[in-house]
Amino acid sequence: MSANEDQADVERVLTGDVSAFEGIVRRWQGPLINLAYRFCHDRGRAEEMAQEAFLRSYRALGQWRKDAAFSTWLFALATNLYRSELRRIPARNASVSLDDVAEPADARDSDGGLEERDRDSAVRRAVDALPEKYREALILFYFHEMDVTTAARTLGLPEGTFKARLFRGRDVLRGKLPQLLAVPRLKEA
Amino acid sequence: MRCLIGRSMGRSTGNDEMDRILSREDEILPSSGFAVYVMDAVRREAAAPPPIPFPWKRALPGLVAGGFAMALVLVAGVVTILRMARASTAPQLSLPLSLPSALTPIFELQRNLGSAAGWTLLALLVSFVSVKLSMRLASGRP
Repeated sequence: MSANEDQADVERVLTGDVSAFEGIVRRWQGPLINLAYRFCHDRGRAEEMAQEAFLRSYRALGQWRKDAAFSTWLFALATNLYRSELRRIPARNASVSLDDVAEPADARDSDGGLEERDRDSAVRRAVDALPEKYREALILFYFHEMDVTTAARTLGLPEGTFKARLFRGRDVLRGKLPQLLAVPRLKEA
Repeated sequence: MRCLIGRSMGRSTGNDEMDRILSREDEILPSSGFAVYVMDAVRREAAAPPPIPFPWKRALPGLVAGGFAMALVLVAGVVTILRMARASTAPQLSLPLSLPSALTPIFELQRNLGSAAGWTLLALLVSFVSVKLSMRLASGRP
């Protein structure tokens, strides 16, 4: 994905060539839908939210100041939209309380290893049940492939605040799922 | 980069496990017509006429008149309250404050109809004029 292509397309759109926006949509449709999906876990709703994000970015294209990458600006706009949409109509899984999330009763298979599917599912349910600010930090951190700077910018937070939320969110997860996210060294001791 | 940040943010290999699980989030592909659908919406948006600007030129006289009337009513109200307060402490003084000449008709009306009825009528009149003015502006009639 090229920043130059984004910039060229934005400039064409701003001079009145609406069709140039299609390049932006094609380049960023996957990431924007997937980001929405991580917030709501509903494919249909993810596409609706991503469509609205593209429309809003089209309207606000002139406000991109080029001091940050176009993608950062686009993700920040989309993230704000997704957050407000989910506050308005919460995701179906949002009603799960952290107390209701439990580790699988028998998390280990016959070889002593963890059942991968159960474990992944339990961790994701626990992430969904986290308080909003920790959940957002975790979603953005992993969405941006653990790039703290980009994730913090997307949320419009200072890096320190973002790291604190991320740390706290992970701490809560570890506390909730001690067996699944166990520290091997403790067992060896 | 991924591992470095993951380790620097965490305290143990417990975080590595978390990183591994959460990084493996399922990827979904956009529906085949998604881009076309978005571009249709964008083109509709582009073709829509720009929002009608607020008609300041037409509204300004009404706003000024409304503001003046509001100020007049406020001043009259304050003067009345002061007059009533003075009257209750010193009944022999009927008009302790000299009123601006512009307010004289308002107080004449008040005297004739009684204070409550006068103010009610005035409020109704101001409301009626505001509603009529708003409707006229909204319908775009000159």
